[in-house]
Amino acid sequence: MAASTTARRSVRSGVLRGYVFGVVVASQSLAYASTYKTARSRTALAAIFGHNAGLAAINGQAYDLTTTAGFTAWKCLMFLALAGSVWGLLLATRLVRGEEEAGRFELLAVGPTTRRRATAETLAGLGAGPFVLWAITAAVTIAVGHSSKVRIGPGAALYFALALALPALVFAGVGAVTSELAPTRRQASSWAGLVLGASYAVRMVADSSNGTVWLRWLSPLGWAEELHPLYAPDPLALVPLVALAGLLAGAAVVLSGRRDIGTGVLAGREGRAGSGRLLGSAGALALRLQRSTLAVWAGGIGLGALLLGSIATDGGKLVATSSTLRNDLSRIGATGPGATQYLSITFVLVALLVAFLAAGEAAGLRAEEASGRLEPLVVAPVSRSRWLAGRVAIAAGSVLACGVLAGALTFLGSVASHARLGAGPLLEAGLNIVPPALCVFGAGVLALGLVPRAVAPAAYGLVAWSFLAELLGAALHSNRLLLDLSLFHQMAPAPAAAPDWTSAGVMVGLALAAVLVGGAAFRRRDLAGA
Amino acid sequence: MSERKESDVQPAIRTGRLTKHYGAVKALRDLDLEVKEGEVIGYLGPNGAGKSTTIRLLLDLVRPTSGRAEVFGLDCQRQPVEVHRRLAYVPGESALWPSLTGREILHLLGRVHGSVDDAYRDELVERFSFDPSRRARAYSHGNRQKLMLIAAFMTRADLLVLDEPTNGLDPLMEQEFRRCVHEARARGQTVFLSSHILSEVEALCDRVGILREGVLVEMGTLSELRHLTALSVEATFDGEAPDVSGVPGVTAVERAGRTLRCQVQGPVDPLLQAIAGMGVRELVSREPSLEELFLAHYGPQAAPPDPARAI
Repeated sequence: MAASTTARRSVRSGVLRGYVFGVVVASQSLAYASTYKTARSRTALAAIFGHNAGLAAINGQAYDLTTTAGFTAWKCLMFLALAGSVWGLLLATRLVRGEEEAGRFELLAVGPTTRRRATAETLAGLGAGPFVLWAITAAVTIAVGHSSKVRIGPGAALYFALALALPALVFAGVGAVTSELAPTRRQASSWAGLVLGASYAVRMVADSSNGTVWLRWLSPLGWAEELHPLYAPDPLALVPLVALAGLLAGAAVVLSGRRDIGTGVLAGREGRAGSGRLLGSAGALALRLQRSTLAVWAGGIGLGALLLGSIATDGGKLVATSSTLRNDLSRIGATGPGATQYLSITFVLVALLVAFLAAGEAAGLRAEEASGRLEPLVVAPVSRSRWLAGRVAIAAGSVLACGVLAGALTFLGSVASHARLGAGPLLEAGLNIVPPALCVFGAGVLALGLVPRAVAPAAYGLVAWSFLAELLGAALHSNRLLLDLSLFHQMAPAPAAAPDWTSAGVMVGLALAAVLVGGAAFRRRDLAGA
Repeated sequence: MSERKESDVQPAIRTGRLTKHYGAVKALRDLDLEVKEGEVIGYLGPNGAGKSTTIRLLLDLVRPTSGRAEVFGLDCQRQPVEVHRRLAYVPGESALWPSLTGREILHLLGRVHGSVDDAYRDELVERFSFDPSRRARAYSHGNRQKLMLIAAFMTRADLLVLDEPTNGLDPLMEQEFRRCVHEARARGQTVFLSSHILSEVEALCDRVGILREGVLVEMGTLSELRHLTALSVEATFDGEAPDVSGVPGVTAVERAGRTLRCQVQGPVDPLLQAIAGMGVRELVSREPSLEELFLAHYGPQAAPPDPARAI
């Protein structure tokens, strides 16, 4: 019983991720195959990227960049394994700890079963998610692999998808264990996140120089790398991955028998007195409840920007050697030195992150209403408009701050790598990514007023759609229409081109209109409570 | 302070043909309700009758399909902020911010409402045996209710809107709650209490309204309402209990050996005439309790409510 309900939700989540992963793999392999058509360009690529310590630290070691399969493996493996691991641990904490906090696990545990059996059933259902992820990623990869440009066989595709799905399974196990240890879902996710961060850091150190390669065997992400999918398969590392996943699941089951429901094995941090700050108004409350989330986002974006800035020089060299890439970039109006052009690509990624943040802010509005926490505020002398205005201000302010931060930290990173890029254009590039994010938030507010249940799908859907359109459009080269549907494509490719303040203005105007219309509708409709 | 003329005094609550439809479901039909300032009103009805809908309309959480609602003369839909400044609300179930402590939530709600009697708040925390230092996620349902009660009473608001406020409270705390309502009433505050606990409503309220399927079927003081239903009579005889079915005003006759039970509507004299001299050993008569009044409106034999005949 527990297994099937958990499995349903886990599979639903896995299906979506599987398709996204598949699309990423497809787009990366197709992009490489169409951009680097000649052996000479491929060798040049391998020469630049193959021995770059910084890139290896982020992406893992590059073994063979002269084939589509090898390049795809390098580009996708670490990124998707990391994304999959994050997904796995969040899924686990949501379905194990989150269900308990909602009081639903209790209903299962008091049935004709033991606590351990109920947990084991839940974990079995949880495991269905990574399984589905594997199946769908493999399916899409096989489909793309048929193409003569890509040429990845079905067996290789299955093995590659395994390298992506197993870390997700392992970290789902980590999430399950921390769910048993921590008293709240937040803490369970943070502790599991710390373990993931440490694994990634260890793998990073392992890949940054030849002497530390053995460190790879100390990290699950390193094991995924050691599988060498798509070019030199070596199944030895499957053993620790599967073994660790099993061990963690067993540990979670054992621990679940040891504790009280509603708390964790390591509970007891409840005694701290509240800080009492930022409680003077509804707006202050909103800031207080979000401050740690916003700090993490800002930190993540800042760090990412710093890293990307620091590899700008190498990216620039890559652009310089590839005429196809240069053609593509000049088609969308990106000109200037190589490093600047490279950064115009990476700023799209930062724009994606900031748009995600905006979507999260919008989804939070609906979550507050649906959970019933809006009610005590709205029943007090706080008008709905004032509440919404406060939240709009926080969302807009955070997005703006992240944009400026991205620009500034990319500059700092580029200074560290002696790329000699101007601060002005980079700051402008940071501001340039703000309007699409504001559009995403505006779409969310519009949905909040008109169709409240659609807030999260509308906001996140717009981000995903824009990103996928951008990705597919770039890979397929041809489809102008597809690219035009992406919000990210409407912004100029700064810093390689001057920001198009007109289209930025239009996007901001649209966002504002959406917020006003959504706000008016929100004031007029019935509030749907818990 | 100048005397207010009777005509200047606004009722605490007044609704005019207030109606709410949720799609095809008619949750509330043509509600005409008037609550004078300083009254304690009970609002009764089974689940789904429309009690919470009425409250949500007063609080501008939902918009009426037609009709209007006013609190102290202010339109609930057009002037919600001014209305909310004068009232405080206790919901039957509340979702709190899990990471804040009880003290922080009381502080927040006080600041957001705008008026707090700090001394009274501290006194209430004491009286309800409430521990404000714990985080909201650690509170049981009863503790959450206590928190919401303290948050409402501490504002000394002119109108207290209470929706099943003692849900989950133990009898001691319920007594405290009753004391608070008496104190509020003594200060001239108006209380609108929607409740299932009939003994509570009987003990606290001046007037009671009974809602059924979205229609207000009765509204009046308890004594007024009592006259509307029958007196319960139970008599024990020396010999066989006689059959009194033919007596005018007598219904629901039950005879079991020497015991006779029946209901009498209107004057009891015909029944007494009928059984006098038949060897009555014991005679007990009882006014209907609020529960019987309530069940009379909801029993299977009760007629469906008609808005045209409603109060």
